[in-house]
Amino acid sequence: MSVKYIPVQWNNNKWKYNAVMLASVFAYLWIFIFVTPDLMSNEGRINGAVHNARAFGSCAFLMLSVILCIGPLARLDNRFLPLLYNRRHFGVMTAFVAITHASYIINWYFAFSPSNKYEALLFSNTSYGQLSGFPFEVFGIFALFCLVILAATSHDFWLKFLTPRIWKRIHYLIYAAYISVVAHVGLGILQDQQNHTFTVIFILAAIVVATLHVMAALHEKKHGDPLAAESGDWVKVCETTDMQEGYAKIAQLTAKERVAIFLHEGKLSAISNACAHQNGPLGEGKIIRCLVTCPWHGFQYDVTNGSSPAPFTEKVPTYNLKVEGNTILVDRHANEPGTYVEPVPLNIQGAAA
Amino acid sequence: MDQAQAIFFAFQIWCSIGALIALFFLTIGIDRIDEDAQGAYVFRLLLIPAILLIWPLVLWRWFILETERDAWPNRHRPPRHAHFWVAIALAVFIPVIILVSLSVRQTWPVDFEPQKLSLLEERKS
Repeated sequence: MSVKYIPVQWNNNKWKYNAVMLASVFAYLWIFIFVTPDLMSNEGRINGAVHNARAFGSCAFLMLSVILCIGPLARLDNRFLPLLYNRRHFGVMTAFVAITHASYIINWYFAFSPSNKYEALLFSNTSYGQLSGFPFEVFGIFALFCLVILAATSHDFWLKFLTPRIWKRIHYLIYAAYISVVAHVGLGILQDQQNHTFTVIFILAAIVVATLHVMAALHEKKHGDPLAAESGDWVKVCETTDMQEGYAKIAQLTAKERVAIFLHEGKLSAISNACAHQNGPLGEGKIIRCLVTCPWHGFQYDVTNGSSPAPFTEKVPTYNLKVEGNTILVDRHANEPGTYVEPVPLNIQGAAA
Repeated sequence: MDQAQAIFFAFQIWCSIGALIALFFLTIGIDRIDEDAQGAYVFRLLLIPAILLIWPLVLWRWFILETERDAWPNRHRPPRHAHFWVAIALAVFIPVIILVSLSVRQTWPVDFEPQKLSLLEERKS
């Protein structure tokens, strides 16, 4: 953020989001532990510590599945965008639930020997050469490390310090973690499961996550932002008739660089499509009083100079543009973030009202 | 067991180096490379776990920012194309893992009643 850092920036929406999330987690744990103790109890052969471990473990798996569904759902349908907001708090809570699961496991299965319990976790099963009886704990350890790294780097400081690009790449670990968790559950509890309620829930959740990601990828391929036609420094991005007052057209300049061209009060302005905060799609936001609002987290920018209103200091690059006939062209060399560019008047008759 | 000890020891060393770097970064470095951190102290405690784990990355970024080598255009080029490969990976690995897990699952023989060994011993005596 561009104001002084504080531990957590709260607002009403975050309080509500967190309250719903906490209530859901407590409700799930309560139902699992007290209402349906047989769901994973394997005919009463386990004790309280193991039952609690399984409650927290299955809760973490389901939370992770929900988190991973939010991204593709938001890409498929804009109505899911509000769920994207504050997803980081969801992730941090999932990490804590997963840590609790690990604590129950370590303090029960590995705590009653002369060895260090963390070392015991590593050496108690080393049958890496076979699938049946594979040391599934290693998948859990890897996933837990990923979740802790993601939670630990969730503060806005890390976004600015590492840059959104590196931060995003680190946070792609969530997918490796999920695949690892699926292996942890599949080669772990699934091998010993007598009541198949959880088996069905587990398989359904994992398949839904994979299917939604494939659907979103195909949707992006089919309906993604068009690649600008390049000829020298000026590239053709769209026609004047494509523009709609108060909204933007997005075009890809390169595989990684997108420009958003806005029509505001009959004039065109072009800024980077990537928000300075988390690289959210600015071109999908609406202009209100010359300010476009990022649909992901609400950061705002003046479309003429790419700067956030005071006291914020976030800036995005701007682009020079021109209109030739009915074609809108953008200079593919971005201006430094915060550079003012005089808006270009558009023939209103050519644009959609 | 020796390998487990070595891994655990290496992890402790890794975190100890991270703690040392966290000490210098959070007291000296952070004020030099981020003006929004100047005068803000409580949030720094939240940064400690990440520095313990990813301290080589912290050192690298600290060096980049101190020497003003940060390329601003890179901040606005998100790796969105990776979503496609993520979808492929999830679509391949998840069904394979589930199928393998179900196929190696062992079930108890239908016509065999489990018996407690201790009870058998008691019967013999």
